[in-house]
Amino acid sequence: MLRLLDRAEEVLIGSLIALATIIIFVSVTHRYALGFTADAVGYFKSIGWVGVSAAAKSTYFALKTINLVWAQELTIIMFVWMAKFGAAYGVRTGIHVGIDVLINRLDAPRRRFFILFGLLAGALFTGTIAALGTRFVWHMYHGSAISPDLELPMWLVYLAIPLGSSLMCFRFLQVAWAFFRTGELPHHDHGHVDGLDDEPAGAMGEAILQSDLTPRDLAEDPKDK
Amino acid sequence: MSALIIFALLVILMLTGMPISISLGLTVLTFLFTMTDVPIDTVALKLFTGIEKFEIMAIPFFILAGNFLTHGGVAKRMINFATSMVGHWHGGLGLAGVIACALFAAVSGSSPATVVAIGSVILPAMVAQGFPKQFGAGVITTSGALGILIPPSIVMVMYAVATSGMQATGPDGQPVDSASVGELFMAGVIPGLMLAGFLAFTTWYRARKFNYPRLAKADFAKRWLAFREAMWGLLLIVVVIGGIYTGIFTPTEAAAMSAVYAFIVAVFVYKDMGLKDVPRVLLASANMSAMLLYIITNAVLFSFLMTSEGIPQALGEWMVGAGLSWWMFLILVNILLLAAGNFMEPSSIVLIMAPILFPVAVRLGIDPVHFGIMIVVNMEVGMCHPPVGLNLYVASGITKMGITELTVAVWPWLLTMLIFLMLVTYVPALSLFLPGLLGM
Repeated sequence: MLRLLDRAEEVLIGSLIALATIIIFVSVTHRYALGFTADAVGYFKSIGWVGVSAAAKSTYFALKTINLVWAQELTIIMFVWMAKFGAAYGVRTGIHVGIDVLINRLDAPRRRFFILFGLLAGALFTGTIAALGTRFVWHMYHGSAISPDLELPMWLVYLAIPLGSSLMCFRFLQVAWAFFRTGELPHHDHGHVDGLDDEPAGAMGEAILQSDLTPRDLAEDPKDK
Repeated sequence: MSALIIFALLVILMLTGMPISISLGLTVLTFLFTMTDVPIDTVALKLFTGIEKFEIMAIPFFILAGNFLTHGGVAKRMINFATSMVGHWHGGLGLAGVIACALFAAVSGSSPATVVAIGSVILPAMVAQGFPKQFGAGVITTSGALGILIPPSIVMVMYAVATSGMQATGPDGQPVDSASVGELFMAGVIPGLMLAGFLAFTTWYRARKFNYPRLAKADFAKRWLAFREAMWGLLLIVVVIGGIYTGIFTPTEAAAMSAVYAFIVAVFVYKDMGLKDVPRVLLASANMSAMLLYIITNAVLFSFLMTSEGIPQALGEWMVGAGLSWWMFLILVNILLLAAGNFMEPSSIVLIMAPILFPVAVRLGIDPVHFGIMIVVNMEVGMCHPPVGLNLYVASGITKMGITELTVAVWPWLLTMLIFLMLVTYVPALSLFLPGLLGM
């Protein structure tokens, strides 16, 4: 069950970033294809290639019927969803940066206290936001606001906030519980930089996990080796 | 008074080691529930709409493009091209490393990504050629920092986002517009090339002094071949910079185009990456982007609170009243940011500090674009020294050297960077010349 949730989360954020990229790519290409075919119509007409000109003309009108003004809005919505669920995924991968220079130099029992404090503070904040967000979306649901281009109901758009924040709150509690029991935080194999294998955070993420931007757990060697 | 409480709370929360985004959020919530009469619904809306700006979307796109480029063989071919051009000079591969970093920086918006891309190919090659490990690590760790100075740059987008729409007035009482992403990108070109030159000089000088190996001079045919191989990557520079400059693309569109382009080049042209690797690259990019976007959401909220309490404005008036001149202010800013660089990574620093410092800078007559470039150069320094310099950690992963050893290795180039920082701080023309020339 939990594994299913993990997988769904990964698929969701990966697909959202891919789709958003494709949408912007298509809309920009479309915009320039329109301009280009319009120019082509005039150019081929001027040099007397009537057939080609007519073909360009019909392409132009065919392209023009495709309306892509909603692309920008959809991209933004997708990224809001990606950001909210990605932030929850980030808790699971331990990628959220903080100032851990000081606590990484404390002895294990004190460090344990501060790490737990931080994780629970995260749960508190995201829990509060989830509650506020639910109220906010509830009010919207009873209003009739719709998004300007796509005409989606706004409550649906903002549903990402309560859902994403709740998931994030759950992840904080999950990580805190695992840390409480085992003294381990999410981290990856050390010294593993250029390969792509099993690296949910990429090389930059790896560097973040190695540095004092993230807490080191109780089992790890000191970071400043 | 309330300003002091906000700051104290933020600093205390951050020092407990919790994520920066959470500390920002909790500070804002505490303040809202206890001390202010700003209606909570306004803030709630701000929280939900904080990242709904099309400009911000450039960040995930540039991260995605960068990840495709890193794993897609573009870096390798850029290195071959740079090596064929300058490999026969003193410093050989080291010098080629600086040039390759500068080239890669022109397609990538992040410094650690540049270190990974160039470093993981060139550092083993340098060791095999007989360079001391420290030399190579020093060159690449610092040259990789060019990633955020030469456009595109994620930190510049952060600065533009953090200051956009701020009400700032100049010394003459006229309102001053904040810097746009496009302006900042153009402004970064000359300083970026200059810093590359400075770092190359340091590399050349030290290599000559210690008589490090040089390569045989490549003939024209070889250079042409290397250029043709690298052309797909180099073309992307034209797409991004040219596209933004001519107004064909907005910066965000350019970022999305470069992500698609990088994907095609990596998977279908160079074939260094298979389709099966794509989901992992997508996930890694989404992970990193979401983390940064989450900081932005909370930082926007924080700076909204600061502004609605009138804190930056009050700070500005106070500084002007205290008779602080612009050059004294810039020294203070540099010291403050260099200090912050010991604790935080660039995005967080820019998002928290820029909205506070920006109105003061404008009030003292400093150009928003110049101020942004200065901050970016300052952030570069922070990426190359411990305890949180991400470039160092990336380099440590590649070379298996300890952080302490690396810190010693980078100092000649770090010193070069500090000198360059002074130059950028006090010669605004370096940053403002190109945007001015282009009429931006």
